[in-house]
Amino acid sequence: MNVGVFIGQVLSRDTFNSKALADYAANLPSVALVRQIGYRPRLDPALLAQELRSHALDRIVLAGDSPGFFKPAFTRALALAGKDPEEVRLASLREHGVESVDEGLRAKAIVACAVKGVPFPLVAASKSSLVNPATLVIGGGVAGIQASLEIADAGKKVYLVERSATIGGHMAMFDKTFPTLDCAACILTPKMVSVGSHEMIELWTYSEVKEVRGTPGAYRVKVLRRARSVDVDACVACNNCSAVCPVSVWSEFDSALSYRKAMYIPFPQAVPNAYVVDRENCIYVQSEGKRCGACLKKCPKDCIDFNQQDTVEEIEVGNIILATGYELFDARRVERYGYGKLPNVLTSLEFERMTNASGPTGGKIVLKTKKLNKRTKVEEWVADPQGPAPKSVAIIHCVGSRDSNYNPYCSRVCCMYSLKFAHLVREKLPEAMCYEFYIDMRAFGKGYEEFMERIKAEGTNVVRGRTAQVSESNGQMLIKGEDILRDRIIEIPVDLVILAVGVIPSRGMADLAKMLQLPRDSDGWFSELNYNGEPTHTERGSIFVAGMCQGPKDIPDTVAQASAVAAGVLRSISSGHGMEDLSKLPLSEIEARAADWEAGLPELMRYADGNSSSTQAD
Amino acid sequence: MAIRVQPKLIDELVLYGAEDVQNCYHCGNCSAVCPHTDAVFNFPRKPMRHLQMGLEERLQSSLEPWLCYYCGQCSTQCPRGAEPGETMMSLRRWLTARYDFTGIASLFYRSWKAEVLAIGIVALLTAIGFFTFGFLQGDIHTYDGPDAFLPSSSVHIFDWAMAWVLFALLMMNVIRMWWFTTASRENLRVPVWSYLKHLYLLPLHFFTQKRYGLCEHKGPWRLHLVLVLSYVTMLVLIMFFLHQMQSGPSIVWPAHGFGYLASIGLLITVIYALRGRFKKTQVHMKHSHESDWIFIVMLLLVTVTGIVQHVLHRTGADLPANVAYVAHMMFVVPMLVLEVPFSKWSHLAYRPMAMYLGEVHRDALRHAETVSKEKTMQPVS
Repeated sequence: MNVGVFIGQVLSRDTFNSKALADYAANLPSVALVRQIGYRPRLDPALLAQELRSHALDRIVLAGDSPGFFKPAFTRALALAGKDPEEVRLASLREHGVESVDEGLRAKAIVACAVKGVPFPLVAASKSSLVNPATLVIGGGVAGIQASLEIADAGKKVYLVERSATIGGHMAMFDKTFPTLDCAACILTPKMVSVGSHEMIELWTYSEVKEVRGTPGAYRVKVLRRARSVDVDACVACNNCSAVCPVSVWSEFDSALSYRKAMYIPFPQAVPNAYVVDRENCIYVQSEGKRCGACLKKCPKDCIDFNQQDTVEEIEVGNIILATGYELFDARRVERYGYGKLPNVLTSLEFERMTNASGPTGGKIVLKTKKLNKRTKVEEWVADPQGPAPKSVAIIHCVGSRDSNYNPYCSRVCCMYSLKFAHLVREKLPEAMCYEFYIDMRAFGKGYEEFMERIKAEGTNVVRGRTAQVSESNGQMLIKGEDILRDRIIEIPVDLVILAVGVIPSRGMADLAKMLQLPRDSDGWFSELNYNGEPTHTERGSIFVAGMCQGPKDIPDTVAQASAVAAGVLRSISSGHGMEDLSKLPLSEIEARAADWEAGLPELMRYADGNSSSTQAD
Repeated sequence: MAIRVQPKLIDELVLYGAEDVQNCYHCGNCSAVCPHTDAVFNFPRKPMRHLQMGLEERLQSSLEPWLCYYCGQCSTQCPRGAEPGETMMSLRRWLTARYDFTGIASLFYRSWKAEVLAIGIVALLTAIGFFTFGFLQGDIHTYDGPDAFLPSSSVHIFDWAMAWVLFALLMMNVIRMWWFTTASRENLRVPVWSYLKHLYLLPLHFFTQKRYGLCEHKGPWRLHLVLVLSYVTMLVLIMFFLHQMQSGPSIVWPAHGFGYLASIGLLITVIYALRGRFKKTQVHMKHSHESDWIFIVMLLLVTVTGIVQHVLHRTGADLPANVAYVAHMMFVVPMLVLEVPFSKWSHLAYRPMAMYLGEVHRDALRHAETVSKEKTMQPVS
């Protein structure tokens, strides 16, 4: 069989050596023609057919990033040349992870497989070491909770490691979910309680993964368990300690709209339902026991222990699930919106807390007012429940998203939560004017479009056109932008501005990626193995991704992906094998396997890791 | 009336320097940050849209590109890197080519080689003409007096003739501009008094470029003003006081004082512009079309040869001064003959004209509004 290899441009990188790839392809047996067609070629099927005939080609290999784009021209050319039009094979370089590994070798391996007509992922991956049935889940947001519960309910051991003092993640902060306007806590808190009480789940909050060694199916993980200074099992969350704590700092959970103590519980429904000491702000810790200590005297259960030390625990697991989530884009970077300078410009998460019935204002939407902090004698802008209600509210979409100056990607949730905000504003303040400034409305999910129509019908002014500037004038804020559909430049005075800020990978993701040798995409999210086919797998065997850490997604998609990950983990546990890293096989091995496959020997089982050094546990 | 769509328009504009127009997703940020945009003239987003849709006639009839002075705020803040500022710049080049009835402007913008070749030919013809003329009636060793190689009286005949030809060419183009943007538009009825009322805007904007000062950064406007005033000073000196400048080697201060100031102004602004375009110091200097380079380099050569010629003349070196004079003319003549009507320099006419027509359009729209109001207020008989 004569094969023709056509190499298109590898768009994403300048460093890629397509000449080396062409030389390699030319030396493969059965390759009769190698041509570089470059970027955006003009392909004429009739001319191609002539070329196919003159070189007597039976099969075409298209190599490059997303080469399927050119497939129709070659299919047609094969048909015109009187050959089998099905004999077009794609060597999709980017799609098979050329970017994240040794790109030259990986590209050659992909082309070698395509020339033989065998699928690269099947040839390159194999089953390997026996799997440890315990699973590590990193991150205790809704994705981590869902995955942990699925696996634990199937009777398998789960270690859930969460950095903060409670599980729940961002979803615990939300008031309502779109588009159904369900209460977020009503969905999440029962799951959180299940996690806390599940006999198969070892919940380690206030802990971080520090080291991962070993091979797929048998990872050894070191987890740093930071000193909480409170005995989690003994604490009954009676609040006596917090009531006497003299320190007050901004509450992270309330997006700095309210204060918390140094001895605190993040929120009343926290799991584990136990207090925690903020050692950096605690007077007793900072003075090395010389001052304060008020909480020690008040605790009826004697569960406060300031001498507790950080400990490192080592565990063995077979599979690892990454569910590290996201954090918000820093709206201060978009200076023209005035966040950080204008007190009544809020981020979405701040508004989410404000409108939440358990939030700092009890669910009242108010303007921040200046108040004297009695301890520091400094005037601060605070969200006082007795504060004035805004008469007009502007919601600005795409802050930090879809913007080549910040993040080029769409954060995917902002349009819908902004519409939800508009609904909440109109519901709680029927007199208030509400404006939505959007670029394109992305209502992509089930019921989303209908939700948008509903919000419009409720009387929210939905304006197409991104706001260019928020400035202060006469105690109000002036929004300047273009109303594109009405063809005019508009200036609207409003009381409250809500920035629909985008999402970015959570801090620490870079370190985690380094620790796990995992590729991340250009935006910093973990790369999945195959966007369409294996959206939960990664380049490393037995390491999975779920939720936002793989890319922006809403709650339904996050939960769905978390369950899908659980299926992958359970498959690996019940088959007894971990999954081999895709990147480990040498080129010669892949060539040999491809040849075998072509010869009708797709029994990849016989390649099961011969020099198995992996440890078996449990 | 059907609107004709020209799908290849963007490809054509690329030759005029447009980049990444297709990136625009119409968030409206650029129009909202632009200090020049208002209810009647809304840009740069709308022209970007027209360009994407290929609405050739609509663009040809628009004044908006001339109302933009390219401060670059739109491009800096553009979330898509669609370069709205540069798009407006390329539209100005394209409009220049459209207004020019000879088609030469279009040729120059599309091919810098053609422009350089034309400049070379005109320079050569100028050299031949001046040397022939000089040798026939004068002495190359004499700069001034009865035997002068190029006496100011003869040069005057030439420069005034050239001025009238250029004026005529520019006027034709300006009339075409008026026709495209105003007269041919069926929905725009301009009252005659409006044309008269706003005439003062033409000299006002020619000399002050007042609207440029609306931009957020005032620096480029000040520099441009220095450049224009320097050039206008030089023009006045040459057209009316050439005989004073030719006498020498003593310095006639009333004339030369202005000349020195203008030379310094030209030199500083040209060097600043060159440096800016090389180092891409500001947004509006990041993208340089070939025509921009040719214009600046020519301006630099004109200035430098002028200064060299002056120095030689004042130091009494008549022969080198005469040669430098011809060299100076070899740059001045193509600069005027080719750049003014057919290239970048033509904006000296189109800019003030656009400000003028802009006000006229506003009047027409206001007028139409009051007429329609009156109509609706008439009682039904």
